[in-house]
Amino acid sequence: MASAPFKAQLTDLLNSMFAMDFLDEQFKELQMLEEASGPGFLTEVVTLFCGDAERIISQLDALLNEPAVDFGKVDANVHQLKGSSSSVGAKRVALVCIKFRNVCQENDKEGCIAALHEIRHEFDELRKKFQTMLQLEQQIQDLDSK
Amino acid sequence: MANLTIEDNFPAGIRVLVIDDDRTSLHVVCMMLESCGYKVTKCTSGKEGLEMLRQEGQFDIVLTDVHMPDMDGFQLLEHVGLEMDLPVVMLSVDSSHENVVKGLKHGACDYLIKPVQREELEKIGEHVITWRRANAGIFDD
Repeated sequence: MASAPFKAQLTDLLNSMFAMDFLDEQFKELQMLEEASGPGFLTEVVTLFCGDAERIISQLDALLNEPAVDFGKVDANVHQLKGSSSSVGAKRVALVCIKFRNVCQENDKEGCIAALHEIRHEFDELRKKFQTMLQLEQQIQDLDSK
Repeated sequence: MANLTIEDNFPAGIRVLVIDDDRTSLHVVCMMLESCGYKVTKCTSGKEGLEMLRQEGQFDIVLTDVHMPDMDGFQLLEHVGLEMDLPVVMLSVDSSHENVVKGLKHGACDYLIKPVQREELEKIGEHVITWRRANAGIFDD
């Protein structure tokens, strides 16, 4: 079957993402939901998450560049990112959000800036892997439907 | 007064309104509920959700996130308690004991911590039955 090598690549990618804690058990729940409901769900959720995370990270950047930082707004944004990342199983991003909320609650601007750098780094890594995952899934679907 | 025929094809037909300003979480929760057989309506704002609830007879249960910008889950819970006869389940990524207790004290029939598992959502239909039984009793003579 023409899609076999792509399926193997996808399996390897996902296994490494789980092994390195990019993803956790919640993602497996989403995979099961896709199996039950048909293709498209994972693509939609991952795409939604990446769009929202990018928007929140930009907002956090703007908030932390203000001369007087509104830590309440920073906290609300990090809280939302924590919610969406844990809904999608993005473990490493969710963990940095917890660190971020701790420094934010202490009104520690330097700590927040450092946490934001870390979130940006983790999210960029995750997004690249998600993009590869979606490309592989598309290739598999295209080949399997021929 | 209470319509208990819902039990015949439980949980299919139970109409859920889900309110969450986080679109990712909303999408996941709604997909899980649909996979359990619930009829789901999504909403990203507490105020809009309340307006929808004020149009009577559309929903059997409400799931609401706690932290939302325009109207938080506790405020929504208060309005629903005052104006309508509907069970409310709260959802939050915040598992702090005080918020859980606050929700339950203010009349929420459950408080689920995100990320919510499908098994937890499957059971919310039971809250509809329990709620209706409890409220039917009030009108018995």
